[in-house]
Amino acid sequence: MKSRGKIWAWFFIILGILYFFLPLLATFIFSLKAKLGVLSFTAYVNVFNDPKFIRGFSGSLLWATLTILVGIILFVPTAYWVRLKVPRARSAIEFITLIPFVVPPIVYTFGLIRTYSHPPLLIVDNPMLLVAAYTIISMPYMYRAIDIGLRSIDVRTLTEAAQSLGAGWGTILFRIIIPNIRVAILNGAFLSFAIVLGEYILARYLVKPAFAPYMLDLGQNKAFEPAAAAVISFALTWACMGIISLVGRGREQAPVGGAH
Amino acid sequence: MRDAPQARPARTKRSWAWLGVVPFFAFTLLFLLYPSSTIVSKSFRDSGTGVFTLQNILALFKSPYILGAYWISIKISLITALSGAMFGFVLAYSAIRGNLPRFVRISLLTFCGVASNFAGVPLAFAFISLLSPSGLLISWIKLTGYNPYFHGFTLYTFWGLSLVYMYFQFPLMVLIIAPAIDGLRREWLEASQNLGASTSQYWRYVAFPILLPSLMGTTILLFGNAFGAFATAQALTGGQINLVTIVIGSELRGDVLGNPGIGYALALGMVVIMALAITGYTILQRRTERWLR
Amino acid sequence: MTHLSLNNISKQFANNTVVQDFNLEVEKGEFVSFLGPSGCGKTTTLRMIAGFEVPTTGTITLEDKDITDKAPNQRNVGMVFQAYALFPNMTVAGNIGFGLKIRGEKKEAINARVTEMLALIHLEQKGNSYPYQLSGGQQQRVALARALAIHPEVLLLDEPLSALDAKIRVSLRAEIHAIQRKLGITAIYVTHDQEEALSISDRIVVMYEGKIEQVGSPFEIYNFPTTAFVASFVGTLNTTTAEVVDPATHLLQIDGVQLQAAEGLDDKQKGDKVTIAIRPERLNFITQERKANVMDCTIENITFLGSVVRIQVLVGSNRFYMDTFNNPFLELPRIGDKDQVSCSREAVLVLRQ
Repeated sequence: MKSRGKIWAWFFIILGILYFFLPLLATFIFSLKAKLGVLSFTAYVNVFNDPKFIRGFSGSLLWATLTILVGIILFVPTAYWVRLKVPRARSAIEFITLIPFVVPPIVYTFGLIRTYSHPPLLIVDNPMLLVAAYTIISMPYMYRAIDIGLRSIDVRTLTEAAQSLGAGWGTILFRIIIPNIRVAILNGAFLSFAIVLGEYILARYLVKPAFAPYMLDLGQNKAFEPAAAAVISFALTWACMGIISLVGRGREQAPVGGAH
Repeated sequence: MRDAPQARPARTKRSWAWLGVVPFFAFTLLFLLYPSSTIVSKSFRDSGTGVFTLQNILALFKSPYILGAYWISIKISLITALSGAMFGFVLAYSAIRGNLPRFVRISLLTFCGVASNFAGVPLAFAFISLLSPSGLLISWIKLTGYNPYFHGFTLYTFWGLSLVYMYFQFPLMVLIIAPAIDGLRREWLEASQNLGASTSQYWRYVAFPILLPSLMGTTILLFGNAFGAFATAQALTGGQINLVTIVIGSELRGDVLGNPGIGYALALGMVVIMALAITGYTILQRRTERWLR
Repeated sequence: MTHLSLNNISKQFANNTVVQDFNLEVEKGEFVSFLGPSGCGKTTTLRMIAGFEVPTTGTITLEDKDITDKAPNQRNVGMVFQAYALFPNMTVAGNIGFGLKIRGEKKEAINARVTEMLALIHLEQKGNSYPYQLSGGQQQRVALARALAIHPEVLLLDEPLSALDAKIRVSLRAEIHAIQRKLGITAIYVTHDQEEALSISDRIVVMYEGKIEQVGSPFEIYNFPTTAFVASFVGTLNTTTAEVVDPATHLLQIDGVQLQAAEGLDDKQKGDKVTIAIRPERLNFITQERKANVMDCTIENITFLGSVVRIQVLVGSNRFYMDTFNNPFLELPRIGDKDQVSCSREAVLVLRQ
């Protein structure tokens, strides 16, 4: 009986493997077909030489970096402070960090643009609005990663020890707290990186250079280059996830993403 | 520099401390809470006069176009949630309890962790590479002389999109249900056998009831996940399939609904559905956790 | 009348022999404990009786029927697991009645039996509670009731008290013993706690590295251990190597001190080395009645354990523990004093290796 179950198990696993890998394989093979009759990396060369790619990709890199920085600057002190001094704010903050899960990106974008495209709050063209929006979208992951990191160190005792040795708040944060939650911060950072890099809606509707809108536009015009761009995107996402599991060392499983 | 914090008397320390969380609240207020609340408030306001009204919301139910959009969104979310849940569960159970080598489980969980993030534009392109008229799988099938596209098959429909959605649905299921399956202790199976139960009786009376809240909760989560998806549909079908998210996207580009207030109501409707989904999921998860303490 | 018998049972996993040459006959209504350290094979043997493991060789007979190859859900043995294993989705009543429900009993019959069981374990009010609402001790009692509800031939208990607090362990093991006596059911009890085994068993099977070391009543096992392992595992023990001086008169010597044993040197010759053991409570100070063996010693340490005072003495180069009942008016020696301890000839146990 056990062996019959095993056959079924293998059947489903293989089915799953096929379903996972065939699209990826197809994308990869498709991306190699740019030159007629021979498999080559021409499509990739075209993409890397495309000024729009450079604009889009470097745009996404820029937004991701800024988002991560804003996230660290905003969430680390907040999470630290809540743990240490204002535990009663905890449930309100946790609730807020979960709102982006409930509000789909398109709806959030809708609200954001409608709010900020009318005077007196006409900041819809400001690139920093995009960074702020990305910070909000990655907040459930970034804040939680930081919070989990803080949970695993005894924040109160470390702070008191540092204070008894004469440290001020800045020293405590930068030289004691942050170094000890390095792994958690990296975890959150790489996840935010993957999210921002793959994000389409905000970039498109706020009309800012980014990788995903570039890919979509590419899909309207070219046949093989989009596949190459997709492979690049997959490789980057994979790399981020891989680094997260390496860096995380299996402590807390990488939070799951979702649909876009 | 600053005063040492201990220097402050206890009472004042408490009220000053709240200052520390002001940046966070200010930021989220500006960029999350306020924009979200305008969706709610503007849904109840007439777009021309600003007067409170329920017309926007009622208009949702009066417009066949909008009702159709909700119906398609609900349909695809339901189908991909149920299929994703079933396939994901079977996959997770096979890897964890199917007596397979250990690397299968680890690889499956790793890949699902990555795949659940693979949504959006690149995913659409991946399936196009596979199943478009010149896609890889279609080419292989064409080698047999049969062209699916000549017989009515096409990727760019509701069913094609459902197939693509599955790609991030069942990894999510696997990841969330795996701990629950782990939680099925071997002793429960042995205790039930010891008391005379066959394998199917074990499933019927013990394993399935224990897993049910988790299964239901995750299915609901998958529903919400599909319901809010936009970029994948946009990239695959160019906005041809009328999902609620696509309609909202069109509304953003230019008022296609004839009344801005309806756009807000549409968005509000989405938030309500998502909130219900998340609440349902949370309640069911808590139930499971309570049992499995 | 033999109720359960295990004949030449052995179990091998890959290249690892976990149980070997296991032979045991259990009477109906007997309470037998399998006692031994982790990895000695006691749980594996129990699981073979339950049907969760299949013996590599040997047969198991219950009520004169061979059950060796029977599936675990057809054996009519009731098992209590270390981790309780109550079904979390069912109430206490649901758990207890589960075996009967599977057998297709009528609802009234099931309810009656469940009520009966709840009374047996003194949890009459908890029928509608869920496992997560009960304490560990309560959950284990429900597990016991669940196993007994199906009128099993044998009750199997796999370290049922290991997960519980010390106090609950003591009261619950007494309860288990009382219930077993009341119902007259055959019981096999696996434990690594020798105090548990000693206090409630009719017979103890001491196991080590997959083999039976000794089978006997608690009295026999404690007072007349036949192997070094049994002697050291059950109770505290002073062991040392002695040299045979005269096998005929059972004379030994350790570090120049002569000791008389009562038996056990029949196959030894002068000059042989044997392992001897003396229970701490069999050593006395010389002020009490004079026994056969007298040893000079130095007092090294005195530990007050409550009802017992444990004195650590040095005899030659051997460190011995001596237990004496606590008595407020007892004059204890001081550390560093030179004194003498004695024990009877029967107290000197010669151990088979």
